[in-house]
Formats: sequence, structure tokens, C-alpha cells
Amino acid sequence: MIIENTNKEYDVIIIGGGITGAATARDCALRGLKTLLVERGDLCDGASGRNHGLLHSGARYAVTDPEGARECISENKILRRIASSCIDPTGGLFITLPEDSLEYQAKFIQACLDCGIEAEAISPEEALRLEPAVNPALIGAVKVPDASVDPFRLVDANILDAVRHGADLIKFREVTGLIKEDGCVKGVKLGDSEIRSKQVVIAAGIWSARLAEMGGAQISMMPSKGSLLIFGHRLTRMVINRCRKPGNADILVPGDVVSVLGTTSDKVPFEDCEDMKATGDEVSVLLQEGIHLVPALSTTRIIRAYAGVRPLVVADSSASGRNVSRGIVLLDHEKRDGVKGLITITGGKLTTCRLMAEMATDLVCEKLGLKIPCTTALKQLPGSHKRKGGKDPVHKRAAVGRHGSEADMMDFSGKGAGEIICECEQVTRAEIEYAVKNLGVRTISDLRRHTRVGMGTCQGSFCISRVAKVLAEVLGTPEKAQELVDGYLQERWKGMTPVLWGDTLREAEYMHKVHRK
Amino acid sequence: MKYDVIIIGGGLAGCTAASELSAAGLKVALFSEGLSLHDATVGPASPKAQMHSPYAALSALAAKGVTVFRGDSIIGACLSEDGTSVKMVSSRNLGSEPLEAGAYLLATGKFFSRGIMSNMEKVFEPVFDADVEFEPDHEKWFDPDFFAPQPYEKFGVKTDAEGHVIKGGKSISNLFAAGQVMAGGPMSESEIEASGKAAAGKILKKQ
Repeated sequence: MIIENTNKEYDVIIIGGGITGAATARDCALRGLKTLLVERGDLCDGASGRNHGLLHSGARYAVTDPEGARECISENKILRRIASSCIDPTGGLFITLPEDSLEYQAKFIQACLDCGIEAEAISPEEALRLEPAVNPALIGAVKVPDASVDPFRLVDANILDAVRHGADLIKFREVTGLIKEDGCVKGVKLGDSEIRSKQVVIAAGIWSARLAEMGGAQISMMPSKGSLLIFGHRLTRMVINRCRKPGNADILVPGDVVSVLGTTSDKVPFEDCEDMKATGDEVSVLLQEGIHLVPALSTTRIIRAYAGVRPLVVADSSASGRNVSRGIVLLDHEKRDGVKGLITITGGKLTTCRLMAEMATDLVCEKLGLKIPCTTALKQLPGSHKRKGGKDPVHKRAAVGRHGSEADMMDFSGKGAGEIICECEQVTRAEIEYAVKNLGVRTISDLRRHTRVGMGTCQGSFCISRVAKVLAEVLGTPEKAQELVDGYLQERWKGMTPVLWGDTLREAEYMHKVHRK
Repeated sequence: MKYDVIIIGGGLAGCTAASELSAAGLKVALFSEGLSLHDATVGPASPKAQMHSPYAALSALAAKGVTVFRGDSIIGACLSEDGTSVKMVSSRNLGSEPLEAGAYLLATGKFFSRGIMSNMEKVFEPVFDADVEFEPDHEKWFDPDFFAPQPYEKFGVKTDAEGHVIKGGKSISNLFAAGQVMAGGPMSESEIEASGKAAAGKILKKQ
């Protein structure tokens, strides 16, 4: 249930509503633990909502990190099974350009095969036939089982499953401290109120360091900023990668009707993590490299630029701080720091979220003296269940495309329920009502994450006032509609300004004329 | 084809100037990329734009004797060797047909109507490559507050005291500008209209 506060005592409280926390909440709930997840903002508001949406095959890591690559391919196969509605099985292509080496390609293919990742070399001609938009200068290509995954839907599906298995969810409330008694963590403080639990799991990405400190444990983390660009067309069918050592801007992921190019990788101070914004320099780097990968990017409208923070953990053994792990980091703070009742799960990748959750939940169960097997790899997530045959009414089809079997939970029976509110993405009133009720949506930006309202071609320029009116009505505060519009426009502006030229600047002038008072 | 004045842009500024100039007895041609004021520089939220049914404004001009080229736009220009006067222009639909006039009026609006265009490095005027006033530093193109006045809205072509468009630092003696395409602004509708009238006045004075 989505709740505001409670006196209940939980087995486990999970801090953080990104993919790691959501998957951990699901695992805990499926194992029958009394579970609460606390998120200070909206679900998916941190790194989980600011990435490529790439379901790694592991190929990218095969040469440099075989262990991580094996985790990826194993989880890739599991997620395709349990989260089919969140995944677009595009396949991936690693292209070799003239300045890259075919020797590296050979090494790459061998490394993939060693990790159990299918990797098939194809000729440049065949690659161009499959993907006419890639740089025609390519000298080699390798097909791998990469895919596109919608991170928002994946988080939602995990949360929905957790809640349906008895977990509670508190959104928009920040953990301000941890309850500590005799050196043991006994729950969390949310401002004036306290909620007690036997175990606390920190799954707060880069913010984990601060939370661990509240419990008296130290984690040495290094925020690594990654900027990305969204282009207004799906330029390729497959995920396109450069076949070389991982570098800047060498992945293009098709997702829904857009393409996402990224990323950069820069160390940033902790204070920057609260308000991540792509800079002009990062945009230049992305474009320069990206155009080399897929030349048509130079003439494609850029919808927005955004940035997220990778929660990199500096390995305990390393004094220099250089030995940074991009792998899964599970910290048992009782063993490590003498702080009982506290666990941190961080690092990892979107692709390995389920495995991270399993590892964290195994440890929670061990601490609670329970032996309950993990079943998350066996059970389908909400949305990915098989649906009954038959034709859906037109106004429901987009919702089915987005939410899979979850669309059947939406109430299309009421008057106006099938009314299209956002034309680009064909979002109906019924879908908005569903998102408010099941996912605790409060603002248009939240609604965007959970329904794709305003993510289409117009980016809300045309529909946003109508969306705001409906959302304000559903929330029971019709007088707040204008406030919702203003908040959305400011958020949209943040994503537009780093790429404010060409068609994006045209669009800005239009938006200012329509929406500025 | 020869005219007294060729007006580039069928928005509020261009239409106002066309109306004034044809009333003064000049032979006027007007190129309007869009089909009506709906597509023009005044922008979609303008009550004035909504008042006009499609075609109305341009049809009214045609009735007054203005030659209106709908859905056509000027895409190229030929300047005298010293770069101080326009010899002729050409349109997308009429191809190589030379279009000549005593005076030319640039009234193509700003970014939305593509009177002013931009890429990552610069802001430019696409027909004459006229000098454009803009901030070289991209960070200064915008205010982070969406609702604040935006610096980019002031970008536009440079004109001299007599209203001539400037290119390569030199005034073009028979090319004038009106409306939002000019540096400064953003203009209100009455200011755009006044700017169209003022440009017509300058052209008449010169004839």
C-alpha cells in the first residue's frame, strides 16, 4: 500500500525507490518479509531514471570485466523472461571503425564467447543492410544479444509486485536519520516520526554514503556523472556500440520512438549530485563521438539532454581511491563496521538489479535467521503476464503497449476514461488515474515517468495544460493545475537549454509564446 | 519578374508593409512561406493570428493588388560586387527565374518561422547571410528560469539608423528589415505592426 506514515514494525525497511530498492523490496515481499520502501521523491528519480535504458548482454564488459559480463548475460536472460513488457529485444551491434582495430574485435568476440555471450561477426555490408544509419566507413561488426529496456517500467513493475505482496511504500518523504539503540540500527527517522524495523537496507545510489554515515558506517563513494542526449527519432533498430575499449558517447540505444546517446564519464563533487544537468561541453563531446557512430545524428532533433550519477564505490582495499568497482557492492555493516541491522546494496547495473536484490535479500534473511529461497527469477513481473486474446479498443492499445497486462488493471469503463489526453503518446485519462492510484504520482514530471505523458514529439508543448487539468482533478486539487504546468515547463526547460539551437530553439520560442505569462 | 518592392515574409510585419506600400501605388510582391498568418511570426498564441481565418490576410492583400506567392519563400540572393545592394533574389518554387525589385524587405521573423536560424556554434540569417547580433557564448543564450525574459529572443539581424540590413559590416542600400527578424525585442503585436509601417515609410522615402 502507498502510505504516509505508520506505527507498524517491519522486518525490513529499504531506503531508495530506484531500481535497486524496488527490486529488493520485491524480493523481500515475495519471501514474505514485512517490507517498507521509503523514497524521498518520486520513484526512479535518480540514476535509475537517467541512463541509457540498455539491457546489457555483457558484451561491453567481456574484455575488461568478465565477471560483470557473466552477471549481465545471466540476468539479461532472466529479465527477458520475467519482464518482457519492459524489454524491446532489439539486439545489439558492435561496430569497428577504421581507427579501431580488428584485432580488438577478435579479442572481443573470444571474450564474449568465454563469458557465454553469443557474438557473431558479420560483414560491413551485412551490418549496413541491417542498420543503414551506421557509419558506412565501418570495417567490421559483431551481433550480440543487447536489448532496450524501459527503466521506468521496470521500477514500476517491481514496486507493483512488492506492494501486491504486502509491502508498503512511502514516497516524497526523506530519511533524516536512523534509529540507533546500543549500536544497532532499529529503523528510520522521517523528520518527526520514526518507523521501526529489524533491518535497514540502504539502496540509495550515490546518496548511500550519506545514509550509511547516519548509521555510523563509512562508505567511500565517488560520484561519476554521465550525460546523455535523447534524439527525436528511432534511427536504428539495434543498440549500436563501438567495438573498442569502453569510451565516451559510444552507445546509441533505440527506445520507444526515440534514440538515446551516451554517455560521458566525469568525476563530480557530491554537492553536484542534487541537481544534475548536462553541460555544453558534455553535449559537444557526445555529438562529436555520436555522429561518428551514426552520422544522421547530426541532423536529428535533440529532444533533451540529461545527466545521472553512477554510484561508484571505492574498493575497501584501495588506499589510492583509483581502484573503483563498477560491480555489485553489498556491504554488511555489522561485519564491516560493527553496526548491526544495517546493510548497503549499491553499484551494479540496471541489468543486474534482480541479482543485486537477491544478494541483499539473502543477507537480510540471514540476519533475521530465516532460510527462504529467492523466487524472483521464476515469477513474472506485473505487466509481463500473458493476456487473454481478443482485440483491444483503440484507446487502450497504447496503454497495452506500454504496460502490457497491467493495462487490464486500468478502468476504461467510466465516462471520459478513454479520452486521449496526450496525443503523441496516446495517454488516456484511465492511464493517468491508474498511475495516481497505483504509483503515487503527484506532478506532471512523475506522470511522465510512469505513463510517458509528454515524452513524445511535442514534449508537452501542446497537451500539457490539458494533462495538468486532468491530473489536478484526479488528485482532488483542481485549483493546482497551473502550478503543475509551471513545474513541468521549468523541468522541461532544464533538459532543453544545453541543446538550445536548431529545431530545439524553434520549439523554445514556440513554448515561450504559448506558455509564458 | 520585376517589382518595386519584394517583401519576404507574410507575417504581421510583412503584411502591414505590403498593405501600406501597395496603397501608395507601388507594385509589390510578397512571399509567404506559410499559407496565412497562422504560420507566421506572430506565433500561434496571438489573438490576432487566430482572428484571421486561413488565407484571409493574404487574400485581402491580393485583392489590393499585391502579388502574393503563397507557400513559396526566397531562398537565394545575388548582391552587387561591392556587397552594398541586392541585385536579385530567387525563390524555391520559381527556381532560376530572376526576381528583381527596387527595394527588398526582410520580414521573416525569428526562430520559429526560420527567419533566424541557429546551430551549435552560431546564429545566422539564412537568405542574405546578413550580420546577426547574438551572444557567442551559448550559456548566455538563455536564462535558466523558463519564465524569465530570454536573451535568445533579442537575437536578430543588424540594421543601420536608416533601417538598412547590414552584411559583412556594410549597409545594403536597398534591403530593409521589419518585425521580429531584427535584433532586439521581443516585440508586441502593435510593435510588429508599427515596425512594418515604419519600414514601408523608409522604402517610400527612398523611392
